[in-house]
Amino acid sequence: MTVTEQGLLEREKDSMTLNMGPQHPSTHGVFRVVLEMDGELVDSAEPHIGFLHTGIEKTSEAKRYVHVIPMTDRLDYLSPPGNNLAFCLTVEKLLQTNVPERANYLRVIMCELARMASHLVWLATHALDIGAMTVFLYCWREREMILDLNEEISGVRMMTSYIRLGGVAQDSTPGWLQSVRKFIEYFPAKIDEYERLLTRNPIWMDRTQNIGVMSREEAINWSMSGPILRASGVKWDLRKQRPYSGYENFEFEVPTGKNGDIYDRYLVRVAELRESREIVKQALKKLPEGPYKVDDNKISLPNRKTLKSSMEALIHHFKLVSEGVSVPKGETYVPVEGPRGEVGFYIVSDGSNVPSRVKLRAPSFMAIPGMCKMMEGCFIADVVGIIGSIDIVMGEVDR
Amino acid sequence: MTSEEIIEKVKADQGEAIDSSEVNLGDAVIFIGKGSIHGVAEYLKKDPGLDFDYLSQITGADYLNEDREPRFEVVYELHAIEKNHSIRIRVGLDEEDPTIPTVSDLWKGALYPERELFDMFGFNVEGHPNLSRLIMPEEWEGNPLRKDYPLTIEDVTFTHNREFKQDLVKSKPPTR
Repeated sequence: MTVTEQGLLEREKDSMTLNMGPQHPSTHGVFRVVLEMDGELVDSAEPHIGFLHTGIEKTSEAKRYVHVIPMTDRLDYLSPPGNNLAFCLTVEKLLQTNVPERANYLRVIMCELARMASHLVWLATHALDIGAMTVFLYCWREREMILDLNEEISGVRMMTSYIRLGGVAQDSTPGWLQSVRKFIEYFPAKIDEYERLLTRNPIWMDRTQNIGVMSREEAINWSMSGPILRASGVKWDLRKQRPYSGYENFEFEVPTGKNGDIYDRYLVRVAELRESREIVKQALKKLPEGPYKVDDNKISLPNRKTLKSSMEALIHHFKLVSEGVSVPKGETYVPVEGPRGEVGFYIVSDGSNVPSRVKLRAPSFMAIPGMCKMMEGCFIADVVGIIGSIDIVMGEVDR
Repeated sequence: MTSEEIIEKVKADQGEAIDSSEVNLGDAVIFIGKGSIHGVAEYLKKDPGLDFDYLSQITGADYLNEDREPRFEVVYELHAIEKNHSIRIRVGLDEEDPTIPTVSDLWKGALYPERELFDMFGFNVEGHPNLSRLIMPEEWEGNPLRKDYPLTIEDVTFTHNREFKQDLVKSKPPTR
């Protein structure tokens, strides 16, 4: 008997270890999972993360508050304004400052546009994983328009850093608002188009219904958040539960599912696309006039024009550029609803202009153990669908 | 419930376990010792009036530069889904024995953040089913988010200043 045969006889169970990732195209980045296979079925799944660890939390402890904002863009790189907002709201809470109405509306518009862009990337790649190529191309087409809008208002297509301490980077222009208006008029017909391709598609339903099921209790216990929690029937949306940035002024529905399977997550996210569009529409209608950042020159830079006439403005400008914002001692946490769920920063300030601890509560990070639990007992082909339905972004998992 | 009501109720029911409490910028915060964290967590989860069924996050903080005792802190953020209120629990951990019991038997969502605490801060989470490095490689030495772990350092190949070089060697992070 050869050594190999001996080994086969000695094994208790006829299982195979299958390594998936980190370079597998369906793992959406550098996620690696080791699957213990029993034939076609997954016995257990063990996740391995850390391949994209960039030490952003550690680096933040050596940067001024303002300098952390561009780094937050790189965490959840599909929805940078959501991260900017979470960070700025936390620091503003420590500073105990309120931003002007117009800044809040612009923040909401940017966040909801980012949510749409993020959900479009999710739908595109998720459908592609399961084999629907056309949806991929269609979604990319509309996402491109949102990126153009980003570029028009902030100068950057993806890493906008548009939301700043005390307001936003710059005011919107009438032309930009017109472009957004045009886009949201154009968009609903396109959502119908995606739905026509997928929602009643028998292959799509076959591949997604009753797969990766998570019950209401499980979803809560495993700390799932965002669309996954809502697809399991939990009506929990921080925009409704803990309104921030004036979300209480908008009327929108919180879509929920019943079964908590991949198909419900798809339905919830597509419904969210429509709700986000509705919020942007209302925000454009109600957008108030006024300043786009706080008047406090200890937090936001003074108007450029005043520098030549006002000594005080010049001093504030110099102090703010050379020293940055000093945040009162204390610690706090503000959660916001990102496209993937609860995004929040826990910030510890020691009273200086550099944060003492910056911790990101990342929805994708918290969802990974639950995701691997969903994989147990499913077919190997469905693993790809489950990873896609969670919509992980490795930037915020590994930080 | 408002933050004040939550604190009042927790104090009334678990008064002896809680060191102090405050309403910090509108959030309910309780400070407890590491010995009573599991008991209080269980109470917060199972009490029908509070019903904190959702663990939002667990994080650590290192207060080395602030020169205070104890040096470390573990922070739990809890939500109640039905009742829509939240609480923050802060547990001090001293430097000599940074051990804390796990709460992953109450909330499965604690599995990853607790491993992250072990990885990044070197806290020993007692009772955790799989306490191993999560983000850093298995063979990594040191705990990156501790304040005495240098942010960055470069090898000095040549210097006349012997003391300076020795300092560097002392503070150098272990490399793979």
